[in-house]
Amino acid sequence: MKPILLQGHERSITQIKYNREGDLLFSVAKDTVTNVWYSVNGERLGTYNGHTGAVWCVDCDWDTKNVLTGSADNSCRLWDCQTGKQLALFNTNSAVRTCGFDFSGNIIMFSTDKQMGYQCFLNFFDLRDPQQIEDNQPYQTIPCTDHKITSAVWGPLGEFVNAGHENGEINQFSAKSGEILNKAKEHTKHINDMQTSVDLTMFVTASKDNTAKLFDSTSLNHIKTFKTERPVNSAAISPIMDHVVMGGGQEAMEVTTTSTRIGKFEARFFHAAYEEEFGRVKGHFGPINCVAFHPDGKSYSSGGEDGYVRIHHFDPHYFDFELEA
Amino acid sequence: MTLSSPNPKVTSSNTWNFEYPQTSHSLSCMTKRSSKYSRLRSWKLQYCLRRTLRAAANDYFSLLINLSIHALKLNIAAARPESFPPSPPFSLEMLEDILREKPLEADGIDSVVVVDNVPQVGPERLEKLKNVIHKIFSKFGKITTEFYPDADGLTKGYVCCSHSGPRGVKNADGYKLDKQHTFRVNLFTDFDKYMTISDEWETPEKQPFKDFGNMRHWIEDPDCRDHYSVIYESGERTAIFSNDAKEPIVAEERARWTETYVRWSPKGTYLATFHQRGIALWGGEKFKQIQRFSHQGVSLIDFSPCERYAVTFSPLMDTKEDPQAIIIWDILTGQKKRGFHCESSAHWPIFKWSHDGKFFARMTPDTLSIYETPFGRFDKNRHVCIYRDFSWSPGDNIIAFWVPEDKDIPARVTLMQLPSRLEIRVRNLFNVVDCKLHWQRNGDYLCVKVDRTPKGTQGVVTNFEIFRMREKQVPVDVVEMKEGIIAFAWEPNGSKFAVLHGEPPRISVSFYDVKNNGKIALMKMYDKQQANSIFWSPQGQFLVLAGLRSMNGALTFVDTSDCTMMNIAEHYMASDVEWDPTGRYVVTSVSWWSHKVDNAYWLWTFQGRLLQKNNKDRFCQLLWRPRPTTLLGVEEIKVIKKDLKKYSKIFEQKDRLSQSKASKELVDKRRTMMEEYHSYRETTQQMYQEQKSARLELRGGVDTDELDSNVDDWEEETIEFFINEEIIPIGDL
Repeated sequence: MKPILLQGHERSITQIKYNREGDLLFSVAKDTVTNVWYSVNGERLGTYNGHTGAVWCVDCDWDTKNVLTGSADNSCRLWDCQTGKQLALFNTNSAVRTCGFDFSGNIIMFSTDKQMGYQCFLNFFDLRDPQQIEDNQPYQTIPCTDHKITSAVWGPLGEFVNAGHENGEINQFSAKSGEILNKAKEHTKHINDMQTSVDLTMFVTASKDNTAKLFDSTSLNHIKTFKTERPVNSAAISPIMDHVVMGGGQEAMEVTTTSTRIGKFEARFFHAAYEEEFGRVKGHFGPINCVAFHPDGKSYSSGGEDGYVRIHHFDPHYFDFELEA
Repeated sequence: MTLSSPNPKVTSSNTWNFEYPQTSHSLSCMTKRSSKYSRLRSWKLQYCLRRTLRAAANDYFSLLINLSIHALKLNIAAARPESFPPSPPFSLEMLEDILREKPLEADGIDSVVVVDNVPQVGPERLEKLKNVIHKIFSKFGKITTEFYPDADGLTKGYVCCSHSGPRGVKNADGYKLDKQHTFRVNLFTDFDKYMTISDEWETPEKQPFKDFGNMRHWIEDPDCRDHYSVIYESGERTAIFSNDAKEPIVAEERARWTETYVRWSPKGTYLATFHQRGIALWGGEKFKQIQRFSHQGVSLIDFSPCERYAVTFSPLMDTKEDPQAIIIWDILTGQKKRGFHCESSAHWPIFKWSHDGKFFARMTPDTLSIYETPFGRFDKNRHVCIYRDFSWSPGDNIIAFWVPEDKDIPARVTLMQLPSRLEIRVRNLFNVVDCKLHWQRNGDYLCVKVDRTPKGTQGVVTNFEIFRMREKQVPVDVVEMKEGIIAFAWEPNGSKFAVLHGEPPRISVSFYDVKNNGKIALMKMYDKQQANSIFWSPQGQFLVLAGLRSMNGALTFVDTSDCTMMNIAEHYMASDVEWDPTGRYVVTSVSWWSHKVDNAYWLWTFQGRLLQKNNKDRFCQLLWRPRPTTLLGVEEIKVIKKDLKKYSKIFEQKDRLSQSKASKELVDKRRTMMEEYHSYRETTQQMYQEQKSARLELRGGVDTDELDSNVDDWEEETIEFFINEEIIPIGDL
């Protein structure tokens, strides 16, 4: 089907996310605005205005009440999803790189960059306690001295956070005690993105080392590897098929020196069990920075360095396709 | 024999004078005088100026240092009030920089020569002899001092003299003064050298034979798989693969096997790896180290076609006395055969070998030197004229070289047979700008590409002068080309050649055939080609036209038997094309050395069907392992060709079998992967179900496991779709 092109950002897209039902799609970019769209027709529902720097991350809680965004303006903000009102402001010393609601939607986590002499922190706030927000004092803060966190996702039931680091390491931090419960080092370079499966039992990592890998959320056991010949910026797991979609391409810095032909800016579909590529979707004329599956598995969206978000609905034969086995 | 040393008076900045003591020196002292004296003087002056102390001659040197130290200590002490902390002990280190410059007695001895076979004369004729000697040697170099030893009133019949520049005077060796007296000139240092050599012959110890196993193990592969070497991860890893249509089979893989790149020997026996300290050769079944050549900073290697000798080049470590920019090694013994000077490696190989390795030759602007193996006998062939290029026939011991125009003498292409030095063909050419020599691989034909600027015309015209080597008196035919030539290549074992010509972007390819009667026929021409290189299959007939690098890797596969284009394809940004030695496969590759992304090598059939895409991280280089020449005779090959149908049936069956096996393997592999994945998913699903109550609790009793598990809470919303916009003009109102 013809993709829907969302033109609501002036700069490259940094993250896109569906809400739990999948009727809404949130997008953030290097401009300061957070957009929310109807995923079914691509109509813009509204914006969340307030950030003064590039917005790196966005998340929405399970009942689509609150939206959380983190930005390079050294703040993380909580918004009312429906009205667009800013509910809380968490000031930090450096840019906020990744953020997320836990399973219950009561606890949030966000990580800050190693920047301007400040090291990387992973902060936890309990939204039920207004004192924490007022004092800007997280109930738990974990310093990461060696390698900063570049992406993080909550584990099932909100007991821990799996964080990917710039050296390719994955650490599992307990949300209660802050200690490291588990470790994995499968990637050799920067982890660009982590996304969980719909049941939160697995997550997929996208790394600059040209691979995406599938891990078990609890044990951090490495399950599958998907190889490409370009840095992978983002990867997502299909909620209904054994498929993984990956987006990436030549690094933005090098794009001007390479033609779109060899940049390989396509979204690529891999079979999760066979680790084999079976399809590609063209469209962006820059690297893809983020991909996301609709929770019903019938469409997916991608956001690119070119500033566009594209919503793709799958053709019927996508659902019939089977690799011979 | 006593020499009177001069007593120079050296004045320092203060008024003290000092003298050299009289010393009795042997012969060597005499040589020091000229060069050394001035150096000594300046050094002394420096010393005096710095320390303002009285200095003396060499012999009293140590004493003096003590004195000077003492004096300095006193000075320091006097110039300083008592309250300062005691000065650190004065050490000799402070004088070291001056001591280092102290001349040695042996300095300058290199410039002494001893001339033998000089007539013996009495003192009355000594003056005359001196004049004669002076006169003769002035031709070769400047004599600065001389010494005529005598005994019983007669000179001893030899002269020692020192001179400026060692080369010139040495050339006087063999000068005939008269019938009885032929000069023998030797360096004084050589006497020393040869005196120390023992007179007794020591039989060299017999080296035990090292068995490296079967050096041609890879030839015995039952499926006739060829090897190739691959360097990847920017040179970190090197692997040898067995080529297979399905997928490559690893034969050997090592980390940091080489520091730069690798080379195969011409028959594929050895793999040469490069290291800072030299070359290592590997071979045999397990690629064990066979030989090592220690050559600091080595950067290039070349093998003799017979694999007996290796030539290595290093840009470091060349000295005048001991040439070792280029070293020729014996591969079997590992011994250094000879070193050569070399200023630049721009035209590697510097030494070109004849096809059987019997001769090798080197060209400098005014000489063509031909050497013969085995070593020890060198046949240096000096022609004093300007050489521009030379090339050995790949089939016979014939060397071709060309000499540019010189005033009225036309440019010449000469074919010379060795060892007879018979010039079998000379061709004169006029208004020549440049020539390129292209041999057909069997040596049946030689094509000389001649760029000329004919009188009365503008621009360069190119001719191909085709020499038919196998016919009497080597007839020559000319093909005139009107356009610029981009590439030329002979069919390796046939009589055809391909030419790329034109000006980019309008490039054409032409195929020519040299007929038996000598007629050169144009078989076919295609225009609008995207190509800048020609790669013939080593077996002939088929070729690949490639537009490498700037032409984005366009590929055209051509069958020249009827000049059809079998396939047109592309390997984007390809930098190299390599045919396998059998001509069945061809590899195109994008090397990390020329392009930083998409480094990979692709395997094609000779018809241009893509078989494999092998992506290797930072892939650098692929080289096919050459095969030794076939042991089958012409007749035997003929029989095989006749029975090809019989063999092809067997092979086809084999292929079918392996193909069905491959697809079965793939399906099996997928099945096991799927089973593993499913069993993993089952365990996680089980855990997921167990956690259901915890999930319900966290979300206040709302079941969110399925998208529609809480439909009751859903709200109806109406959404408008923008489908079409139509503007209807209402017309004039």
